[in-house]
Amino acid sequence: MFANSTTWSLLADYTEEYAWFPEAASTFANDIDWLFWFISIVCLVFFIPIAGALFYFAVKYNKPKGEKAESNTSHNTPLELAWSIGPSFFLVGMFVLGAKSYLDHRTVPDGAYDVGVQAFKWGWTMDYGRGTFHPELHILLDEPTKLSMRSSDVIHSLYVPAFRAKKDIVPGRYNYMWFKPTVASTKVSDQRLQKAKTKMEGLGQGWDYDELQFTPDGYSFFDLYCTEYCGKNHSEMQTVVVVHETLDDLNAWIKKYSKRGPDVDPATYGEALYERRGCAGCHSVDGSKRVGPSFQESYGNQRPLANGESVLADENYIRESILYPKEKVVAGYQPAMPSYKGQLSDDDIYCLIEYLKTVSDYYTPEEPAAEEQASEDATVGADEVEPSEENEEGTDESVD
Amino acid sequence: MSTGSLPAGEIRDPGFPTRSENYLTNSKGILSWLFTLDHKRIGVMYLVGVVAAFAFAGVLALMIRLHLLQPEGALFKGAEANNQYNQVFTLHGAIMVFLFIIPSIPAALGNFLVPVMLGAKDVAFPRMNLSSFYLWVFGAIFFIGALFASGLDTGWTFYTPYSTTTDTSVILATTGAFILGFSSIFTGLNFIVTINTMRPPGMTWFRMPLFLWATYSTSIIQVLATPVLGITLLLLIAERTMHIGIFDPEFNGDPVTFQHFFWFYSHPAVYIMILPAFGVISDLISVHSHKRIFGYRFIAYSSIAIALLGFLVWGHHMFTAGMGSLTTIIFSALTFTVSVPSAIKVFNWLATMYKGSISLTTPMCYAISFIFLFTIGGLTGLHLGTLATDQHLHDTYFVVAHFHYVMVGGTLVAFLGGLFHWWPKMFGKLYSELGGRISCGIIFVGFNLTFLPQFVLGSRGMPRRYATYDPEFAFLHQMSTVGALLLGVGLLCALIVLLHSLFRGKRAPANPWGGATLEWHCTSPPPFYNFERAPIVGDPYDFTPVEWDAENDRYVTVEPEREIVPDKQPETAPAHASGDH
Repeated sequence: MFANSTTWSLLADYTEEYAWFPEAASTFANDIDWLFWFISIVCLVFFIPIAGALFYFAVKYNKPKGEKAESNTSHNTPLELAWSIGPSFFLVGMFVLGAKSYLDHRTVPDGAYDVGVQAFKWGWTMDYGRGTFHPELHILLDEPTKLSMRSSDVIHSLYVPAFRAKKDIVPGRYNYMWFKPTVASTKVSDQRLQKAKTKMEGLGQGWDYDELQFTPDGYSFFDLYCTEYCGKNHSEMQTVVVVHETLDDLNAWIKKYSKRGPDVDPATYGEALYERRGCAGCHSVDGSKRVGPSFQESYGNQRPLANGESVLADENYIRESILYPKEKVVAGYQPAMPSYKGQLSDDDIYCLIEYLKTVSDYYTPEEPAAEEQASEDATVGADEVEPSEENEEGTDESVD
Repeated sequence: MSTGSLPAGEIRDPGFPTRSENYLTNSKGILSWLFTLDHKRIGVMYLVGVVAAFAFAGVLALMIRLHLLQPEGALFKGAEANNQYNQVFTLHGAIMVFLFIIPSIPAALGNFLVPVMLGAKDVAFPRMNLSSFYLWVFGAIFFIGALFASGLDTGWTFYTPYSTTTDTSVILATTGAFILGFSSIFTGLNFIVTINTMRPPGMTWFRMPLFLWATYSTSIIQVLATPVLGITLLLLIAERTMHIGIFDPEFNGDPVTFQHFFWFYSHPAVYIMILPAFGVISDLISVHSHKRIFGYRFIAYSSIAIALLGFLVWGHHMFTAGMGSLTTIIFSALTFTVSVPSAIKVFNWLATMYKGSISLTTPMCYAISFIFLFTIGGLTGLHLGTLATDQHLHDTYFVVAHFHYVMVGGTLVAFLGGLFHWWPKMFGKLYSELGGRISCGIIFVGFNLTFLPQFVLGSRGMPRRYATYDPEFAFLHQMSTVGALLLGVGLLCALIVLLHSLFRGKRAPANPWGGATLEWHCTSPPPFYNFERAPIVGDPYDFTPVEWDAENDRYVTVEPEREIVPDKQPETAPAHASGDH
């Protein structure tokens, strides 16, 4: 009984628009959905008579063996010309409508809000300028947004079903796409967000977007998929799009992720970077083998390399591996990692190294007094680096 | 009419072959098969091969569907789950395309039928024909080698730079595909030469059965397009081993170039897969409706038109890859033109059924299923050919559903229909009609249940080649999996019906369906020499002299009594000399 009613409600769902399409959240969506239905109706106009005639003839002219056909007409040229040329008008219509709306969708409006997208196996890094990177795509309501996309390894494809927009990202060149979001993300209550955060921390498996349906900042989102097959975790190469209602809200969000706050501990910030910048996709912290070596056996470990040598995984080695990952590859792994040169500030790298120390089995904190000294040194060092690092980022930006 | 009363006239029926005539029994031993030059035996060996490849890739398909029963993956578990899924879908695609669909109708049915339908004793180059089969076997070995070496996870399309950087057996698999390409070229070349040069007197181009027209068009594509695939795959191997810098951006190559090369073959290859199916269906619909095919010339010309236009539309596989706007729009326009000849054929088949005398035999049931499914497959191509909607649907399940409707609902169903149609001719046995029709029914329902939900999955935004997916897609995926299992049951059912007939089937008459083409003029199975002397070629779709002989459960050709030597002696004296006037 219960199963029955579920089935019916599921069937009833298919009378609703959302059963056929994701939410229409960009200016393209209405055009494309309209054209989709237009083509579908034309198809039905042809298909229903064809299928009807097919089954009707099969029954009507079903005769016992040996009976002769009622007619043996071999051809009828006017009729054949009619059904060859007739449908072509519909085809021309579809082609013209499709091509026109395609051209509209392709021309990027001047002054569009520009976000850099870097795709890699298997994650996304969105570049908001001035050294702010984040895997989520955050954009502004009713503002044309242009994505300048590049890939550091194989071909990927960025697809936001709610925007009806898709474009391949080909290594070795930039590809561009744009859209104008028309539906803003909503924000959940702080209470609910806090509850979810506690729950997720309890589970200890990172943020579950699918289950919660809002981001760690409490925004509802649209799915963003990779649609060009790119290897092992292709199906997990997903992120989300958040559409902010006001520029202030968007800027506040960007500021939150722009750099480490003055009162944030480097290892804690390193852990956040580990989650946010795609390290977690390939490097575990519990010793399990993924695409890259686990961080549990990284810092302070003597590592055999693919070229037969071995190296002590110290600060300099880790720094080199982040910036030039193909130089010293650990034995048993492929040189699969993209370079993070120009994408992580010195402070970011310092924080990541500090985090790696906390998860490594090979790192034993030194005597408390000495450690205090060391961390003080490091903090001072980081403070010193920051201004010049910002300059460096600035020049990087202009070069890009 | 079916009272057994045949109209007066000379009844023509070749009867049954003796053991020494029958091509299956005229020589014995495994070597007589392995070294045979008889096109019929080669066709049978191909049939066994492609069915085995199909069964294997079909099991892989079921594994894919079972894995997708749950959003996080139901079949493969653990850290390597995604890798295993990727390898399974890659091998499913590669084996189905290269080892099954491409050789299915042309090589298995075509080898058996082309010379017999044409009225020839064999193909033009029998040795090349045998070597084509062995190339197929070697290609298959390479594929299986890839499977057992380190797998293959590139997708059947081998897109660069993924395929130049992955550590799986790309080289083994591409070598396999390269060899299979030659197998395909050999078959195509053989058929072109055979059809051009070996037609018996009276077999004009427009007296050829439409299956031969379709085979001829297919062969043109095989000979012209397959070399491009060979070159592309060699370049891919060179890029992987020597970094020549053509496809891999790390060495200044362009990955999109590979896509252009690859689809320049693989799009025409889609027509290698579907054109022979059109030919089979044209013959099936006409024979089982016992009515002349409607618009013979339009169907014949549209096959050639598809073969030629098919070369110009490869770009529609790259609508989102970042080609220039003008190029993209031109490819979209060309894509629409190729849909016209396909539509013509559907209308012609319907017009053939109209006012016919339809026998709902197993092959006819498959042919009707084909028209239904292929029409859906063809019409949904319009959503993908239209540029704006393609931006949304490209690389989603909508595409997966579309090409499965064409390749499975089209080619596979036509292959099965053709197999049931010519099975009595190939093996001299009749199968259970009831069993055959049940298998067709299950396949029809199972197939639609598998792939109709995938259209909706696609329009809702589910990307293809995903090992795991978002929970909101689960219900439709589960429907699809149930359908796939049902489809598997249907296919198994068809196999059992056919195998059962080999052991328990009734002996087949020469003409069990009432066909008028030449293969029905020789015994079932045909003698090893096909025809003792060049056959008398009539109209392939003239069913007026074909009559049902209820007493013997067979169709026979009845010809009016002819006096070959008149009894009466002519008068010696002229009529005016008799003096009667």
